[in-house]
Amino acid sequence: MTISERLEAAFITGDRWKLYLSGVGITLEIAVLAGILGIIIGTCLALMKLSRTGEGKPTILSYIATVYIDVIRGTPSVLQLLIMWFIIMASSSNGILVASLSFGLNSGAYVSEIVRGGILAVDKGQGEAGRSLGLSKAQTYRYIILPQAAKNVIPPLGNEFITLIKETAIVGYVSLSDLTRVANQVASRTYDAFMPLIGAAVIYFVIIKVLTILLGKFERRMRKSDNR
Amino acid sequence: MITVKNLYKEFTDHDGKVNEVLSGINYEINKGEKIVIVGPSGSGKSTFLRCLNLLEVPTSGQIIFDGEDITAKGVDINKVRQRMGMVFQNFNLFNNLTVMQNITLAPVKLGIMTEEDARLKALELLRRVNLTDKANVYPASLSGGQKQRIAIVRSLCMNPEVMLFDEPTSALDPEMVGEVLDVMKQLADEGMTMVVVTHEMGFAKEVATKVLFVDEGKILEENTPKEFFENPQSKRLQDFLAKVL
Repeated sequence: MTISERLEAAFITGDRWKLYLSGVGITLEIAVLAGILGIIIGTCLALMKLSRTGEGKPTILSYIATVYIDVIRGTPSVLQLLIMWFIIMASSSNGILVASLSFGLNSGAYVSEIVRGGILAVDKGQGEAGRSLGLSKAQTYRYIILPQAAKNVIPPLGNEFITLIKETAIVGYVSLSDLTRVANQVASRTYDAFMPLIGAAVIYFVIIKVLTILLGKFERRMRKSDNR
Repeated sequence: MITVKNLYKEFTDHDGKVNEVLSGINYEINKGEKIVIVGPSGSGKSTFLRCLNLLEVPTSGQIIFDGEDITAKGVDINKVRQRMGMVFQNFNLFNNLTVMQNITLAPVKLGIMTEEDARLKALELLRRVNLTDKANVYPASLSGGQKQRIAIVRSLCMNPEVMLFDEPTSALDPEMVGEVLDVMKQLADEGMTMVVVTHEMGFAKEVATKVLFVDEGKILEENTPKEFFENPQSKRLQDFLAKVL
């Protein structure tokens, strides 16, 4: 077979390109939903983990967050996905929802450490200045600390989202037809692994390259207050 | 105006070792006074100042501000702090906000002024320190002296009854010290009650109503500036002055 025949078999015959397209759709849908969930859960966990009592001791919420982060980081994400699919959400037939939830809960643990680091990297004096003016702790966080922390966390958060996009490739385990699974299916149909698998790899690469460029632009915009 | 009774402050490090920084401070600050606190580094003078608005929570003792014991349980410390301005060694302007936003954030968010009133007041204060043209820039583009003058303005916009200064000129390049001290002198002339921790002995001589010498967590000596510098009583203060003057 010539290269063009192989390309045709991998992408054109039987409108197979539509399969890849829907695979990309599923991959991105899960990644975006999980990413949003991860940021929400991660921010909550970070604030919980940093919470202190009046005497400066960690609160019960802080311990809960620590346990959650330990459990999530201490188990494989494939296993978490399988547990979510076959045990916790076994009654649900919405695979995308289950997968998004599973990845979101997983990502939240990693994001929480990113956010916590971002908050701790804000100079202590910023918070003290806010409190010295009479602003409450919550107001100081909202108007001063979190906006500065947000700027700190964009690069590692972008990194986390990129990891997340690629990690969704394991949803084939729960029979969702994401990009990786589609490519694999085409490969077994056409008895030619090269074109579909390399094709899928190129698609992942392009998605992530575009995302990297957008993140870089966003980061520069967020840094405008640093400009001299 | 502020009465400090039996103030103790201990810090416990990670190994559980206790370090007593303030060892029983008693003092009374009256309205309109300018108290300047000097002492060697590590003497506890900054900690003392930071206890006055409870940025450091005292281990024991009382701080009575305007008749109210602010160390008591149930006191709304945020309300108290609205009446006490504080200026820091490292300026601590909010990096994510413009100069104008830095000044108006607290009065507006605390519901003390409308956005418009706060803006007008901020502009008037900026005019006093000759920085009106910096209203819309971010702190990163300012010099140290400019930052500190704006930090003072930010505190003043809350109409405080007392201003606390924690080594306000220590982080400045030498040529910028003057512009900050000038603003502080102006403030003193207007009758503001001030508590200033500083190494600027010239400022102490010129502006202070009382100078305190703090060492090893205690007020070792307290006097008018003239007596303090010309007639130091304790050996430790004599040694200290010999080193810094």
